Amino acid sequence: MKTLTKNNRFQHLGGVCMVGVVIALSFLVEVCFGSFPVGLFRFPLNVLVLALWMMLMAMMYRGRAHNACARFMLSREATWLSLALIAAIGITLGLQLKPSSTAWPTVCSLLFVLSHLQFVILRGWRNGKGLRWRFCLAHIGLFLALGAGFWGAPDREQLRAPVQRYPSNEAYTMEGEERRLPYTLELKDFSIEEAENGTPTHYEAQIMVDGTMVTLRVNHPYARTISEKIYLVSFSTSPSGERYAILEIVSEPWQWVSAAGIIMLLAGAMLLFIQGPLSNSEL
Amino acid sequence: MGWNIFPLWAGIVMLIAATASIWAVMKKERSTVAIATMTVAILAMGGFIILLWATLERPPLRTMGETRLWYSFFILVSGLFTYSRWHYRWIMLFATVLAGVFIIINIAKPEIHDQTLMPALQSLWFVPHVSVYMFSYSLLGCATLLSVVALVRKSTDMDLAIERLLYAGLAFLSVGMLTGALWAKDAWGAYWSWDPKESWAAATWGLYLIAIHLAPSVMNTSRRWIYHTIILLGFVALQMCWYGVNYLPSAATSVHSY
Repeated sequence: MKTLTKNNRFQHLGGVCMVGVVIALSFLVEVCFGSFPVGLFRFPLNVLVLALWMMLMAMMYRGRAHNACARFMLSREATWLSLALIAAIGITLGLQLKPSSTAWPTVCSLLFVLSHLQFVILRGWRNGKGLRWRFCLAHIGLFLALGAGFWGAPDREQLRAPVQRYPSNEAYTMEGEERRLPYTLELKDFSIEEAENGTPTHYEAQIMVDGTMVTLRVNHPYARTISEKIYLVSFSTSPSGERYAILEIVSEPWQWVSAAGIIMLLAGAMLLFIQGPLSNSEL
Repeated sequence: MGWNIFPLWAGIVMLIAATASIWAVMKKERSTVAIATMTVAILAMGGFIILLWATLERPPLRTMGETRLWYSFFILVSGLFTYSRWHYRWIMLFATVLAGVFIIINIAKPEIHDQTLMPALQSLWFVPHVSVYMFSYSLLGCATLLSVVALVRKSTDMDLAIERLLYAGLAFLSVGMLTGALWAKDAWGAYWSWDPKESWAAATWGLYLIAIHLAPSVMNTSRRWIYHTIILLGFVALQMCWYGVNYLPSAATSVHSY
């Protein structure tokens, strides 16, 4: 029994080293070819790859008795490594050593974290005893929130539109490419309150969105469709001295999966407080 | 009626809260009297907020002074919850001191009562997001101090207290981070954008989660020091997230610069 545990430990350390090698190689790919081509994985390709990836993980989980890789993915070492990778991504992006969440090392690390989460969920959702709810809410919530951000990133579109006092469907990507919206935007009214030093303290715009009048304020977007929201982000002044609104149009079809994940995580965090550390739990 | 009666009102609230806290410290068992007294202090604080709301004829959520009022309120509520659930004798005293800091700022700097928040901060998410974070910082700060003592003395006496503080602190930290994500979606259109501040929040969260997942494997072994060291590293990351990020070059590109 002791030898078996030692063998497992050895295999798990080997797994950690393998992940380290893959991430080191991803740095090389990043240097040679640039960031991960997120745009190639738009719907339906991202859903297809996601389905295949989840099936592969489930099959590996079923054959875990004879698969060292699956046993590593279920190990404590894989959990520690996953969390260390989250911390490392945070520190790297926080210091802006590599200012991109689409860099190959980030993508590889997040894929490993998501894969490990799927293994742990498959094992834990049946076996949990006293902490089953907490376990499911926290782990499935993180899987959904992180997964929606990861797999849904190619389908997310963010455009900026300067909206003046005439109907226009002109908008720009964050890289400055021009796009045409399938509807028009028109500024009907713009009001602003300023402090004594001239700093804006409150501003809002009345916008005609495809024939519907809406009031936009900071923190109060307008949901045009189930997956698209329009935000008032700023304002500017035209050469003629007239103020106009700058809107942001965000289309994010996976946003509700993220929201479900975040709400589950919130419930899990509350249970973490209520139940506290229970050393006799087994998951 | 309004801010002019605040010093007297807040003084009474602090007196009641301090009485409850000292009573809790003195009693070995969970004290119902302390819980009831602190509830009275919280209701009194809430009463002032309602009064101010009625006087201003709008929710008091628009100025620096008004948000600090809510911090004091929610920190007392968090302290009461934590005492009721985990019976740390000194936690309500800690919460009272922390709430007192914000009350003193409001009394000493009356100019912030009229200092309007910038538009991005005028949101219902602002107060719960910040006050829950503040409380988690205080709990995790306590866990860090105890970890330092445990490391220096090589003692196991405080391990249970450290673990409980870590769980409570991480729970509040998670709620703060997740309410921030929900707010970010309303404000900027993305739940998470790996902004420098968000990235440090993820690093902090990851480190504390490592500590929690590491505990069962190392706590009863000679490798306990790893657990305590990770708690220390988590607190360093937390300082970076709270204010350290403002001193980095990346702060220039952060949407969290106010």
